[in-house]
Amino acid sequence: MIAERPESVTSKKGGMFLISQTPPDQTHTPEDFSSDVKDIYQAVDEFVKTRVMPNMETLEAHDNALLKQILHECGDQGFFQVEVPEAYGGLDMSKTTATYVGEALAQAGGFAVAFGAHASIGMLPLVYFGSDALKAKYLEAMAAGKLIGAYCLSEPGSGSDAQAAKTRAVPSEDGSSYTISGTKMWISNGGIADIYTVFCQVMTPQGTKFSAFLIERNFPGVSTGKEEHKLGIKLSSTTQLILEDVVVPSENLLGEVGWGAKIAFNILNIGRYKLGSGGVGGSKAVLNASTKYAKERTSFGQPIANFGAIQEKLAEMCLEIYAAESLTYRVTGMIDEIADHAKSASEKLKAIETYRVEASIVKVYGTEVLAYCTDQAVQVFGGYGFSEEYPVARAYRDARINRIFEGTNEINRMIIPGELLKMGMKGEIPLMQAAQKLQAEMLEPSFSDDTDDAPLAAETRVVEGLKKAALQVAGLAALKFSNKLGEQQEILARVADIIISSFAGESALLRTQKMMASGKNADTQIAMTQVLVHDLAEKCAVWGREALSSFTEGDDLRLNLAAMKRLTKHDSVNVVALRRQIAAAVIEADGYLN
Amino acid sequence: MKILCLIRQVPDAEARVKAKNGLVDLEGATLALDGMDEYGVEQALRINTDGANTVAVALGGARFEDAIRRALAMGLERAIHVESSEHLDVVTQAKILAKIVQEEQPDLVFCGGQHADSDSQALGAALAEALNWNQITWTTALEIENSSVKATHDVDDGKEQLELELPLVITTQQGLNEPRYPTLPNIMKAKKKEIRKASLADYGVAGGKVRVVKQEIQDKQRLNKLIDGKDPTAAAEELIKLLHVEAKVI
Repeated sequence: MIAERPESVTSKKGGMFLISQTPPDQTHTPEDFSSDVKDIYQAVDEFVKTRVMPNMETLEAHDNALLKQILHECGDQGFFQVEVPEAYGGLDMSKTTATYVGEALAQAGGFAVAFGAHASIGMLPLVYFGSDALKAKYLEAMAAGKLIGAYCLSEPGSGSDAQAAKTRAVPSEDGSSYTISGTKMWISNGGIADIYTVFCQVMTPQGTKFSAFLIERNFPGVSTGKEEHKLGIKLSSTTQLILEDVVVPSENLLGEVGWGAKIAFNILNIGRYKLGSGGVGGSKAVLNASTKYAKERTSFGQPIANFGAIQEKLAEMCLEIYAAESLTYRVTGMIDEIADHAKSASEKLKAIETYRVEASIVKVYGTEVLAYCTDQAVQVFGGYGFSEEYPVARAYRDARINRIFEGTNEINRMIIPGELLKMGMKGEIPLMQAAQKLQAEMLEPSFSDDTDDAPLAAETRVVEGLKKAALQVAGLAALKFSNKLGEQQEILARVADIIISSFAGESALLRTQKMMASGKNADTQIAMTQVLVHDLAEKCAVWGREALSSFTEGDDLRLNLAAMKRLTKHDSVNVVALRRQIAAAVIEADGYLN
Repeated sequence: MKILCLIRQVPDAEARVKAKNGLVDLEGATLALDGMDEYGVEQALRINTDGANTVAVALGGARFEDAIRRALAMGLERAIHVESSEHLDVVTQAKILAKIVQEEQPDLVFCGGQHADSDSQALGAALAEALNWNQITWTTALEIENSSVKATHDVDDGKEQLELELPLVITTQQGLNEPRYPTLPNIMKAKKKEIRKASLADYGVAGGKVRVVKQEIQDKQRLNKLIDGKDPTAAAEELIKLLHVEAKVI
């Protein structure tokens, strides 16, 4: 077993979670939130409940004037100042704060998208990559909500392969401007934004260089297409941005020529971990609605909340949210640990960049929990769930985009093992050493039998085993396919799923252990952790077997499968009884357990 | 002009309130600044727009501090918190608050027209009585010129307009204004604003004159009757029948 407490604890680096153990007292949890974080969440939550929710129907019918007005009001309230440096009228608060705000917004579906398209992906390229002159020109007005932003990466012919963009920027002879032409697609806030962050190819004598510019709506040649007719997030404005020979002053270039990918992917990282809290917030909203409904709706002479089939749904939603919440704020806490000491915007960005793998994990897990919870909420509501008169239908529609934007979940699944392997190859983290150690360990006859039966001791062993299972498959696949591993997307996706599971299980586990150590009653949290880790181990065993069977055979396969069995070994637990226990707590609390 | 705003913390409209050992137990309930008091805070900030010379005064338990911070985040300058979790009757409360008014010498005191938790409307009147000041109740509009106050207030038959001289106790009514939301920068600033803490003993009070013997929560069970709306006329008839014959509310 991994019993030693390695160097990892002090070396704050992305990816280290996979090959080290974090002590519970060093994890970050919502229970640790400062009063600042909670107060700001409450302010945003109150605003959303009073200004956005009552206007939902009008806003969903594309009342863009009202949407823009509400965004201006958000500016007046200072909501856009959270991540802006103080020098530009901002509050420069923690990433945890900015992420938690996303939870409050998520209940309003498309509004979270409009808000984030401005405050996050719309404004942060300028915060992190803009020159002082460019910040002086736009940032204060954006932080005050007087100018609304948008982020324009995709094109009709390029999405996941963003760098294949065709929009072109031709520099003027005197270097004072660029003439930009092209069409950007799926632009959130497209119809209402005043300023667009546009990614395009700058034509240079050395060839095209992917770069980013700030383009004002009122520059001649800028226009937007019609509103897209979307499946969900109808509240948000989504259009094309059409650029026809738009002359953009050179000072509006973000960073330097050729920085496009760096800007795009760093900003996407931020968007990714924020989608985790969006998933958490949206899921909590539907769990709360489902619980209330289940208690009120009677069937066969009693509230449907009395039935095991419904209780199981409420319990599962609750524990999945618990896991998503645990991993989201674990990651933002890890970022803040470094970012809070950063002396400049670029140092802060490095803190985010180091946790890019974790950001992808948060994105995938959070958005899939949201998909699960909104789907189950419709089911709890039965026929009424299918009616737009009830709140869960909109939530169900709004959830769907989350698995697509900010990098599809498939792309993010490729990033997780891909980036980890790169970090290992570069020697940034001792991944190869850990894989070699594991290989040696696998040749030993058996694990030492750990009989510690303290609460969650078994789950701790399981989580450590899952991390090793990921290492095992990734290591063997890397040996087999070498530099062609990138082509094995099915295997990479399974490795990603095992890594995500180990991180989710561990995050919930550490949080529960921290809660137990604080003396707080954690009975329900212990039950949630037990069910979660049990189910994750079951799934990982399948993914591990499927992956190994795809590229090894004969004796090798038998040996590898035996090792996988050992690494995903877990005891049976009475998940039926545990889910009933969790459901009772959910029903008592009228929803998610805060 | 110096203005005092009396504020209270009450269970939020959506809060789940429980009774334990025959008394209301607010442990775990969401609490908020009383909406009627919020009108007073807002009005004070419309009179003194920079927040100068505006003081929140609260008399209640430790958790009242959240409501106080809210009033400070809206923009009041500072606060006085007489900390006590004892049940105090309105007359005793007024006695303590009157002493604070005498210390602070404001021109105007705002008080919520009705307590959201107990429905009591007596505090403003009791304070005016203790101070021997004039009061305007259920105020929906206010205009101040020098020391003269023109106010519109609700009476049983409609509205009444009054003109009175300062100092005054003014109790609020819905419609007086639309309270602002605290902005994020102001929420942060409010954390640094002064809250002067005091105890009942500081005002020579040992306890209230009324002892609460028992409290109960009214349990409202929903009937969950759903009316099919396919035929609107029939649905309306059914609704009227249910409200008239069964619920007997119309």
